[in-house]
Amino acid sequence: MYLGEFEQIVLLVVLRLGEDAYAIPLREEIEERTGRTVARGALYTALERLEAKRCVSSQMSAPLPERGGRSRRYYTVTPAGLAAIKATRHSLLRLWQGLEGMLEP
Amino acid sequence: MTRRVVFPPRIAERLLAAALGRSQRREDILGDLHEEHAALAREAPARAALWYWAQVTRLSIRAAALRSSRRFRGGSGRRAIRSAANTTGDSLMRTIGLEIRYAIRAIVKQRALSAILVLTLALGLGANATIFAIIDSLVLRPYTMPDVDRIVVLSHTRDGDIDRRETVSPADYLDWKRQTDVFERLAAYEWWDANLVGRDEPERVPGFFVSADFLPAIGVQPVAGRNFTPEEEVPGAHRRVILGYGLWQRRFAGDPTLVGRAIQIDGWQYEVVGIAPKDFDFPMGAQLWAPLAFDAETAAQRRSRYLTVVGRLAPGRTLENAKAQMAVIDERLQQQYPDTNRGFNARVYTLAQGMLDIGLGPILSLWQASAAFVLLIACANVANLLLARGAERQREMAVRLAIGASRARVVRALLIESSILALASIPLALGLAWISLDALQASMPAKLTRFVAGWQELNVDPRLFAFTAALAIVTAFVFGLVPAVQATKPRLAESLKDGGRSLTSGGNRIRLRRALVIAEMALALPLLVASGLSALSVHRFLNGPQGYNPDGVLSMSVVLGEGTYPDGDARRRFAHDVVTKLGVISGAQHAAAVNIPPGVGSNSGRYIEIDGRPNPDPANPPSVDYRVATPAIFETLGIPIVSGRGITDADRDGAQLIAVVSESLAKRYWPGEDPIGRRIKVGDGPFLTVVGVCGDIIHDWFARRNAPTLYRPFAQAPVGYMAVLLRTSRDPASLMAAARAAVRAVDPAQAVFDVMTLREMLHERTLGLRYVAAIMAIFGGLALLLAVVGVYGVMAYLVTQRTHEIGVRIALGATTRDVLRLTVGQAGRLTAIGVGLGVVLSLALGRLIEAGLLGAATTDARLTALLAGMLIAAALAAGYIPARRAATIDPIVALRIE
Repeated sequence: MYLGEFEQIVLLVVLRLGEDAYAIPLREEIEERTGRTVARGALYTALERLEAKRCVSSQMSAPLPERGGRSRRYYTVTPAGLAAIKATRHSLLRLWQGLEGMLEP
Repeated sequence: MTRRVVFPPRIAERLLAAALGRSQRREDILGDLHEEHAALAREAPARAALWYWAQVTRLSIRAAALRSSRRFRGGSGRRAIRSAANTTGDSLMRTIGLEIRYAIRAIVKQRALSAILVLTLALGLGANATIFAIIDSLVLRPYTMPDVDRIVVLSHTRDGDIDRRETVSPADYLDWKRQTDVFERLAAYEWWDANLVGRDEPERVPGFFVSADFLPAIGVQPVAGRNFTPEEEVPGAHRRVILGYGLWQRRFAGDPTLVGRAIQIDGWQYEVVGIAPKDFDFPMGAQLWAPLAFDAETAAQRRSRYLTVVGRLAPGRTLENAKAQMAVIDERLQQQYPDTNRGFNARVYTLAQGMLDIGLGPILSLWQASAAFVLLIACANVANLLLARGAERQREMAVRLAIGASRARVVRALLIESSILALASIPLALGLAWISLDALQASMPAKLTRFVAGWQELNVDPRLFAFTAALAIVTAFVFGLVPAVQATKPRLAESLKDGGRSLTSGGNRIRLRRALVIAEMALALPLLVASGLSALSVHRFLNGPQGYNPDGVLSMSVVLGEGTYPDGDARRRFAHDVVTKLGVISGAQHAAAVNIPPGVGSNSGRYIEIDGRPNPDPANPPSVDYRVATPAIFETLGIPIVSGRGITDADRDGAQLIAVVSESLAKRYWPGEDPIGRRIKVGDGPFLTVVGVCGDIIHDWFARRNAPTLYRPFAQAPVGYMAVLLRTSRDPASLMAAARAAVRAVDPAQAVFDVMTLREMLHERTLGLRYVAAIMAIFGGLALLLAVVGVYGVMAYLVTQRTHEIGVRIALGATTRDVLRLTVGQAGRLTAIGVGLGVVLSLALGRLIEAGLLGAATTDARLTALLAGMLIAAALAAGYIPARRAATIDPIVALRIE
C-alpha cells in the first residue's frame, strides 16, 4: 500500500503522540516538527482517508465539559498501518542508498 | 478555581453542523473547535469569535466541496467531463477560483461596458449608503453615552394622537418619581435660554434647568467639581451652574480656578460647581445646566406641561417592566386628577425614540424610498446592459453548455461576474457617500445641528461598509439573475449555427428589455415629481405672497433675564427704550417689538373664548396665534389695517384692554359681522375689546398659512422674550451695528442674538426644506439620467438587431421618415406605457411625498403633467439618436453584413 507524503506525516505523528493522539495535538505536533501550517480540513481529510485504508483506527472518549459536552476522537495506528509505514520507509531508504555523498554536505 | 466555560458563536456552530451534515466526524470536529476556541477566548476573547467564524467558513466550504465531488464521482460516465471541467477531488474552491479569474478576464475584456456598469451601480449604491448613514446616526443610534440602552424618556401622549409626544407637568413628574421603582434615577429638565454676562459681549447660551438626578441618569460625571445635590433643587439655593466643556474653554479659557467662583447669568450670580465632560452637550447642544427648583405652587402644577423626563432603568429591570409600571401609575393618576390628566397617557421610550424629531421620520422615509428607487433604476439599467451582452455572448454560453457544463454552473459563473461588478462598485459608492456626507455636514449651519443629535457622528464607518457590501450582493442577484438565466436558455442548435440571426429567438429577451425600460420610466417619474414638488415649495416659501413685506427689515432677538427684569414694568421700559432708540437711527423708518416675528419656527398659541358664546366643548377650546407687540408693528412689518385701527401709544397699562385681530380670525368667529367692538377672551384672562382688523400673514409655509391671529399691545401684556424689528429704506444689514449699539445703550449686559434681516430669516427657515429639495433634485436627476440612458441602450440595441430588416425596407423604398417613425415610435410606445404607470405610482406615493415635505406642498396635477412631458421628451430624444443612425443605413452595407 502506498502512502502519500502528508499521510506519512500524519501516521508518524499519531505514533509519536501515542495515548494523546486526537486532532488538536496532532496538528500542533505536525506544525511544530515540520514547520509548516496545516489546514484543519486537510488533517481531517487525511485522517479519514487513513481510516478508510485501515491504517488507523479511532475511538471516541467520554463527553468532556471543555468541549461543550462533546467527545474526542483518539487515533491509534493499526498493524496494517504500521506495516505500510515500514514498507514506505524501506523503499525510501533504498532510494537514498549511495546518494548520501551527493545530498548531504 | 472554577474555569468559566466559554461558548463559541452559536450561529456559526449551527452553520458548521449543518455543513458537516451526517458526517461521522461531525461530533469531534465541533468538539475540537470548541476546545480550541475556549483556549483562545481565555487569551483574546475579541479575536476568538472572529477566529471561530473563519474556521467555520473554511471547514464548511471544504465539507460542501467534498460532498459535491463525491456526488460527482458517483456517476462513472461523467469522468471525462469532470476532468475537462477541472473538478478533481476537493477542488470546489479551485473551480470557483478559476471562475472568478475567468470572470475578471471577461470584465476586463469589455472595459468600457464594465466601467459603465460599475459607475451605474456605484451611483445607486452610493445614494443608498448616504441615506443609510444618515438614518444610522440620526435614528438608530444618535446618542453615544455609556449604557445608552438603559436610558429612557417618559412622555405624555394624548388620546387619539399617540405620535405626538408631549412634555410633562411638575406634579406628574414628582408623582412618577415617588411611585415608581423601576428606575434607578428619574430626572426632569426644562428649557433655559441663559444670558451669560462676562468679560466679552453678553451672550445667549443654550442651557437647561435639570434635576440633581439628571447627570447620573444620563451616566455622566463632571470632569471637574461636582454634580448638583438635592438640597440645591430648592428655590433660593438653586443658583448653581455646571458649565459645558466647550463654553468653559471658549469663554473662560479653561480657567481651572473657575469652579467655586460666581458668574453672572440673567442678572443673577451663579456659582460654578462643575465642568461637564468634553463633547457632552445633551440635550440639544446644552452648555449650561442649573438645578431645576420647584416652589410649592409649581410642584402642585398639573396643568402646565413643560418638563422632559428622562430616567435610567434600575439594574435587572427592562423597558417592558417600566412600561407596565407606568401604565398602572398613569391609570391611577388619571382617575385621581380627571380634570387635568384624563386623556393624557404616560409612555416610556428608549432615548433614541423619545428624542427623535417627529418631522424627521417622513423626510427620511422619503429619502430612503427615493434612494431605493434610484438603485432599482440602476439595477434595471445594468440588467439591460447585461442582457445586451448576453446576446453577444450567446455563442460562448452555447459552447459551454454543449461541452457539458450544467446550466446551473453557467448561471453561477455569470452571477460571479455580476457579484464582482457589484463588489467593484463598493469603493466608488463609499467614496460618493463620503463626499455627499461631507457636503451635507458642511452646509448645515451650527444653529440647526444643535437640534439634530448624532449629526456630528455622520461618517463612513464599518457599519456603513457592511451595509453597502450586503446591499451590493443583493443587488448583484437582482440585476444578474434574470440576464444569467436568460443567457443560458437552451437554444443550442440555433446559437451554434454560424451567423444565426436571432430575429425570432431573441423575442423573449427583447420583451424583457422593453419591460425593464418601462419599469425605469415608471420609477423615474415619482422621483421627478417629488423633486419638482420640493423645488416648487421652496420657491413658494421664499417668493410667494407672505402677507407682510419681508424686505428692508432687520430683526434681533432678546430674552430678558428674570433677575434684571423681574416684572412687567421693567420689561415695558426695556421694550419702549429700545424701540425709541432704534427709531432715531439714521435711515430708520419704523421700529417695533413683537413676541414672535413672522417666519420663525416657533409659535405662541392661546385658547380663546368669544363673548356671549361659551365654547361648546370645554375640553377642546379653539386656539389662535398669539402676538404681543408695540404700537408700530403693523407699519414695521407692512401688514395692512383692513378696518378700525392698529395699536397706539394710548393702549398702555391701565387703559382699556384691546386686541387687533386678523381677517381670518374675524371671518371665522364673526362671519358676516363687524368684529369692531366685540369682545374676546384669551386663556383665563379678562375680555379684550377688538379695535381693529389687520391682514393675514403666512407665518410659516408648513402649517401656519393665514392662521387666525390676535395682536395685543405689549404694554398691556409684557413678555420676557421678543424680537425687535427695524424697518429701513436702506440695506437692513448695514444697520446691524447701530441696532446692537441701541440695545447696549439701554442695557449693556443684555445679550442679543439672531441679528438678521427678515429675508435671511426666511432663508434660514427654509434650510431644512432646501436640504430636502437639494437631495431630491439629485435623486430626480439621477433617475432621469439613468432612465434616459436605459432608453438609449435599448433603442440602440433594437436598431442593431434590425439593421438587416431596415436595410431591406430602405432598399424597397422606405423613406427616412418611415424609418424614424418605425424606431422612434417604438421608443414612444415604451415611454408612454412607462410614464402612464409612473403617473399611477406618483399618485399612490403622493402621501409619502407630501409628508416628506412637511406639508409645504401638495401634489400638483399640472406639475406632474409637466414632468411627465419632460420625461417623455427626454426619452424620445434618447431614442432619436439610434433611430437617426438607422435611417441613414446604406442598404448595400446593411445587406452585405450578413
